[in-house]
Amino acid sequence: MYAKLVFRNAKRSVKDYLIYIVTMTICVALFYAFLSVSSSYYNPDIGSEYDFTLLSDGMKAAICMITLLLLFLIRFVNHYMLLRKQKEFAIQSIMGMEQKTIGRIFFAETLIMGMLSIWIGIFSGVFCSQFITAMLLTAYGKPYEISWTLFPDTVLLTVVFFVASFFVVGIFNTRTIQKTKIIDMLSAAKENEPELKKSRFISIAAVLFELFTAWGLMTGIQKIYFYDDPRLALSVQLMFWGNILFPLLAVLWPVFCRIRKKKREYCLTGLLLCSVFNAFAAASVAALKNKYYLPLGSGTLNQYLLFVLIDLIFFLCALIYLTSGLIAAWKEKSPEHRYHEEALFFFGQITSKLNTTSKTMTIICITLVLAIFMFVAAPVLTGWSSGYLDIRSMYDVQAFSRYNQVYEEENLPQDSYEIIADFLTEHKIDTDYDCTFNLYLPEKEDFHNRQKYDFPIAAIAVSDYNAIREMLGYGQISLGEDEFTTQWKTIATGEERDSFLKEHPSIMTDAGKLTLSGQSYYEDAIGETAYNSYTDVLYVLPDRICEKLLPVMKNRYITTSENISYENAIELEKLFTERFPEQTESGVMYGIRLCTLQTNSTIANNFVLQAAMLYGAVVLMIICLTVLSLQQLLDAGQYQYRFSVLRKLGVEEKAVGKLILAQLGVWFGLPIIAAMIVSAVIITYFIQIISAEISAYIGFGALMLQIGATIGILSILLICYFISTWIIFRRSVNPS
Amino acid sequence: MNTILRLEHIQKYYGNEGNLTKAIQDISFSVEAGEFLGIMGASGSGKTTLLNCISTIDTVSAGHIFLEGTDITEIRQSSLARFRRENLGFVFQDFNLLDTLTISENIALALAINKVPAGSVESRVLDMAGKLNISDILDKYPYQVSGGQKQRCACARAMINNPKLLLADEPTGALDSHSSQMLLSTMQSINEQLGATILMVTHDAFSASYASRILFLQDGEIFMELRKGDDSRSAFFDKILNVLTMIGGGQSHVC
Repeated sequence: MYAKLVFRNAKRSVKDYLIYIVTMTICVALFYAFLSVSSSYYNPDIGSEYDFTLLSDGMKAAICMITLLLLFLIRFVNHYMLLRKQKEFAIQSIMGMEQKTIGRIFFAETLIMGMLSIWIGIFSGVFCSQFITAMLLTAYGKPYEISWTLFPDTVLLTVVFFVASFFVVGIFNTRTIQKTKIIDMLSAAKENEPELKKSRFISIAAVLFELFTAWGLMTGIQKIYFYDDPRLALSVQLMFWGNILFPLLAVLWPVFCRIRKKKREYCLTGLLLCSVFNAFAAASVAALKNKYYLPLGSGTLNQYLLFVLIDLIFFLCALIYLTSGLIAAWKEKSPEHRYHEEALFFFGQITSKLNTTSKTMTIICITLVLAIFMFVAAPVLTGWSSGYLDIRSMYDVQAFSRYNQVYEEENLPQDSYEIIADFLTEHKIDTDYDCTFNLYLPEKEDFHNRQKYDFPIAAIAVSDYNAIREMLGYGQISLGEDEFTTQWKTIATGEERDSFLKEHPSIMTDAGKLTLSGQSYYEDAIGETAYNSYTDVLYVLPDRICEKLLPVMKNRYITTSENISYENAIELEKLFTERFPEQTESGVMYGIRLCTLQTNSTIANNFVLQAAMLYGAVVLMIICLTVLSLQQLLDAGQYQYRFSVLRKLGVEEKAVGKLILAQLGVWFGLPIIAAMIVSAVIITYFIQIISAEISAYIGFGALMLQIGATIGILSILLICYFISTWIIFRRSVNPS
Repeated sequence: MNTILRLEHIQKYYGNEGNLTKAIQDISFSVEAGEFLGIMGASGSGKTTLLNCISTIDTVSAGHIFLEGTDITEIRQSSLARFRRENLGFVFQDFNLLDTLTISENIALALAINKVPAGSVESRVLDMAGKLNISDILDKYPYQVSGGQKQRCACARAMINNPKLLLADEPTGALDSHSSQMLLSTMQSINEQLGATILMVTHDAFSASYASRILFLQDGEIFMELRKGDDSRSAFFDKILNVLTMIGGGQSHVC
């Protein structure tokens, strides 16, 4: 009998469960799709030079961490269903059914819906996992083939995880039902008139903001005391003073408001503006530090980053809190605004809900910003990393040394790393090119110069340079008798290069003065180890000049005719590090970079990072949208009453429909638009700081594509949730 | 006096052929302009169904209802809302005020929905509030005022558009005796001073005694009609009680 009741209930209330099913299906699909990569049955053809276990372990850990967030969501959605069915429970209790049984019936119902979601979710997951596989194979540079496979271990893991979470949540629900009094259940759906009380959340947020601003003020004073110098550029001076004046204004503003007995909203509007100024001032620190090489440590930068975040979070809190005030002010401005058809009702709906839920709205906004940022940042970070890989891993083997800790000339490296050639011969790996060369200091006296921002530029002999160019397939270059030219890193900007060349038409070396060649620079990537530390440029000098210069670093670049396998690469690395450790007694730092290992770890790490960030971002977005949607549906009882009053007053169905659409539009639109604005600011700032890396390694086109994809995914999710909410909302408020 | 509302052989059935419930069997009556008509009857006698039919919230199964000569049973579904807001005013047992709006906004909403020019809204609200003695609570929210005040606000909202007919469904049902008395006096003054035509459904004899004529319903039919005429209210009240005793079955049924 109970089983029949459960099935009939489930069948009848499938539409009530729409949000539950939509949310669960998306969660299951994502979980399955991302986890399928770590399945032991998953065996994509990525080649012998790659080791896949590195990736699948990382993926499993990352996915499971993020999935913990889903537990919160499952609990939330269940809570909503519980509230929605209270009246039904009350009737069953009155009829004499034990509350324990009611709890069990409800649990069985949610389990049926849950199983339905798991079923649909896994099949959608198989579809989604195609994208993940495509992403993976693209990462490893292999062609993509569609394979419709269901991985039994992933299916099992998905089912076990979700069923287990349903059970955990089910136990909580059954206990809640058992504890609730029948009278409370009965009156749960009835209209109640809650006091329109503004939450105290904003006062706490303002106090916290003030505390952080005071800290910012003190930091600003401290920084200006230690680092300000009248010789610094005007923009730097402005930055230093801005970081004192704006926080000072923010600290003094509430005091002023208190003395002049201003309204709370007035005070908050001031603080809102202060938070914007503060954020700009704090954000300028990182931007100017990069531009002017300011001696501010990463600790200070992180501190200012924290201030920017605090300012933005407070901005969101204040903005959402003030929105209802803003609507009220607009409403009060003229009777035309106020008394235009159903406008009064609409404003009442929006402001009352905003007043009571400003805290939730703010948290949703912040979470959305985080999700959007993760979406955009994931490809930037991985693109940066893999773009950098292309540049630094240009040879199959790179052995190099650094003299940063060497203080005596006799300790400089002499070895030509024969150990590598022996290893390759032993393992029958043919070499195509092999080049061992020195890097020199143009002036010997610079050997002891170890200042980071004034580190000497190293030089290479033109014959060695040509040998490297040949290895990489570039054309040969030639130099006149007393000429030199330059080779630049990809990251260096055109401006930097031009100003450098303008300032250095000639250079002094220990073997005489050299003038800049007609072809003054080369930009073809030759790897990162050919440059001295902290410099983006390398001098190319005639061979006879180099013979008289001090060689400070020794490099050996090898390209092999076939890829070195993963095992061999590990063995060679081990052998080399034993013979040439990173730290030696003489102070020379040795290093080896093997293309196979670099590619392997970079690709695996990148993929895990990208997948985890994308998964996390989608999960966060789903959480936000579900909470937004349920916030509206939870009050369906109240809304039904309010809309029935409107109908009785003679408002047409068409107008009621429009009001519902407008209300949901504002409810979904406000946090999303606020989050979009703040994310746009953060992303612009982020892009600006690493614009050099983006243009060098990723390309703005690819970045824009990603931003477009983010907007696309957000829009699809938004449409799904908006339509589901709209359908259920209409069902709730329409007369049966 | 001219007739404002005329009901001709109204019938209302629920259910289908096999299981037919006749909520209203056959009711005909008319209401004169400026009249205060009470409709009484036990639970299930059909009084709320009748009110719903007059207010166009429900449709009749047979018969016609004329409001100032317009047959409201013939009005198209799409025009009903407009008809309601232009011609009828409602007062409900549970006030039906919006908790998100202040008392004055609740009253103003009825004007705004009726597309009254925004400039004249506030003066009309103040004027009506003055008449119903709720001027001092206009800026309060419904949850901040008493039940009696809420119902007077509901009356103000119902009257603000000068409806042809004010329909009241158990207006004192949720009020204590003092508030009920105050409200009924207010309704009487609306009727006498503003000349409003009121149709009030109630099962409370005391409330009904404020009306000038009472129709008693039983099993979906008019059982009896009682006019106040020149009687005092207490005499009228006694007459009502007598009719109620009769409807209750009298002594003959109790054995």
